[in-house]
Amino acid sequence: MSFADRVLRHRAAALLLSLSLLVVPTSRTARAEAAFSLDAAEFEKKTWSNGGFAEIKWEHMDVRQGSALALLNMYDDPQADWDQLSGSLQLNGAYAKGIAQLHWLLNATGQEDTFGWRDRAEVYETYLNLAPASGTTASVGKKSYKWGKGYAWNPVGFINRTKDPNNPEEALEGFITSDLEIIRSFSGDLQNIALTTALLPVWQGVNEDFGAADNLNLAAKLYLLYLNTDIDFIVYSGNSRTTRFGGDFSRNLTTNFEIHGELAYIPTVDRVALDEQGRRMCQSGSATSSLIGIRYLTEFDLTSIIEYYHNGLGYTDEEMDRFYRRIAVGGEQWTLTGNDALLQQMQQLASQGYSRPNPGRDYLYARFSLKEPFDLLYFTPAATFIVNLDDQSFSATPELTYTGITNWELQLRFSLLNGDPSTEFGEKQNSNKLELRIRSFF
Amino acid sequence: MKTTLFAGTASLFLLFFNLSSALAVDGAAILQQVDRKMQPESYEMYRKLINVEPDGKSKEFVLYTVKKGQDKMVALFLSPASEKGRATLRLNENMWLYIPNVGKPIRITSLQSVVGGVFNNADILRLDFSVEYSVQQASEEGDHYLLVLKAKNATVAYDGLKMVVDKATLLPKTIECYAASGMLIKTLRYDKIKDFGGGIVSPSVLETDSPLYKGYKSVMITAKIQKRDFADEVFTLNYLSKVDELR
Repeated sequence: MSFADRVLRHRAAALLLSLSLLVVPTSRTARAEAAFSLDAAEFEKKTWSNGGFAEIKWEHMDVRQGSALALLNMYDDPQADWDQLSGSLQLNGAYAKGIAQLHWLLNATGQEDTFGWRDRAEVYETYLNLAPASGTTASVGKKSYKWGKGYAWNPVGFINRTKDPNNPEEALEGFITSDLEIIRSFSGDLQNIALTTALLPVWQGVNEDFGAADNLNLAAKLYLLYLNTDIDFIVYSGNSRTTRFGGDFSRNLTTNFEIHGELAYIPTVDRVALDEQGRRMCQSGSATSSLIGIRYLTEFDLTSIIEYYHNGLGYTDEEMDRFYRRIAVGGEQWTLTGNDALLQQMQQLASQGYSRPNPGRDYLYARFSLKEPFDLLYFTPAATFIVNLDDQSFSATPELTYTGITNWELQLRFSLLNGDPSTEFGEKQNSNKLELRIRSFF
Repeated sequence: MKTTLFAGTASLFLLFFNLSSALAVDGAAILQQVDRKMQPESYEMYRKLINVEPDGKSKEFVLYTVKKGQDKMVALFLSPASEKGRATLRLNENMWLYIPNVGKPIRITSLQSVVGGVFNNADILRLDFSVEYSVQQASEEGDHYLLVLKAKNATVAYDGLKMVVDKATLLPKTIECYAASGMLIKTLRYDKIKDFGGGIVSPSVLETDSPLYKGYKSVMITAKIQKRDFADEVFTLNYLSKVDELR
């Protein structure tokens, strides 16, 4: 290479370097400008919309040795602990044309645990909405109802699926219904009024898990925003379940303090329990359930949700104790004779009420979440406590959620279940659970 | 002679006093003009919120917002995917958040933030200033007015505001937000005045930082705003799951 060539190459390199120095800041500026701008056309409404999330969850549970539910669920294959790895996919979307919109919500889960592989796929919702005017909507299809103001429990949710108080914000499967909603607004003390009426059929293959078959049931909710208070009056009538009435309210007392409540009354309802001799009996009577709660935000961004729940259909301490004692007897029979008939009876009884997430009478729920402590954006530590007030057993669940990566959510959670023998949380299958969940939204 | 001199002086004083009264700054009128120049009474709007961390990392949210009259407002999250479908409703001092999975609106407070960062719910669902604040003091300083505002009641997010308004455009340049204790909560800075069409000329960028979040800042960019009327029923809890149908 000649000297002139070398000089030329050096000059070319210098020129490229200079250009790159010019270009790099320019492109950085361009990127910054792009980030600090918004093209509204990009977000114009499309006929189709799709979204959802994919999730991976790992759980480790330590089994409470000798507890009633560990015995009931694992008598033929006892475990000291178990692990579960699951993957879920939830898809939601809508197709809109004119006054019609078709909505769907699908959920599928596959899980591998100590007991093997299980999977399921469910249509949570698929319904057609017709909105001829902004104040009138009719819908038909499978739809999930979330009536009631309570965060952890909803005694007035007469056509709701029962939610898990440990995960009250998760989507739930709906029922096949047809509903009509009429909304009107006014100026004055009564600002809004909305009437929702839903027809819920129970036929062979349609909503069979709701109640008795071959019935058409009606549920209605009248909502009022009156004097800055949300008020609902709810009624359910039909033969699949007995008639029931309810009401709820919610109101902000100050900018950082909200109060809510629910009251449900069922004039006649059958309730399956064990009598003093440990025999299955069906009692008929009325039941009143209620909930009162608050939501409070401190100056340092600590949100507290506290709820008291009285479950009129719940089991007393004595009834729960009979159930646990019968399981113990069943366990002895199984050990001595290999006969599991009593345990199977108890499993059936469990599915009829005793194994509900919270089968007792009186509960206290408290959740405290601190948003972004120590200036750590997108970190939310929280702790949830559920206390059975009748037997003083409890679950305590501290958790940490991180949402700093766009469209990703990481959650680490540990649950401790504790109580004396013959108490609800003392007789649960697990003594604790560690859970790591990663969700990617799209 | 003395009497005539006194009478003349008194007349001059009275004339000057009347003149200065006439020229005194009418803060309430300025505030109302600021409101109308900032945004029409009823509109639809697309905007982006950006939370910037001290290390430069940022998180963005895109919102579709509709407002009617003085006290009705709804904001729907269009992006990111993790927040899509969430909607917030404000009816005067009442605020609710609708999360699609939860399926029912829950009451929230003006001091909370549905997006994290420095903006709180009151910043995102801001009503006209004159609806929530009254002018306590107004003065003229060079090329701007300084308005000292006081919250009309305890439900308003900030107890007091100090607003610097550009005399020529009657648009705010900066707003300092104070708690009842007198503590500065945050400073809002308006920038990049843009002609959105339909007679709407207002700042397209709002930047905020706070001594409570040292090193962090949040930016709100308005891309599109246009006058549009909506039925009152749009601003109800039952409609929150259907806000997207308005677009």
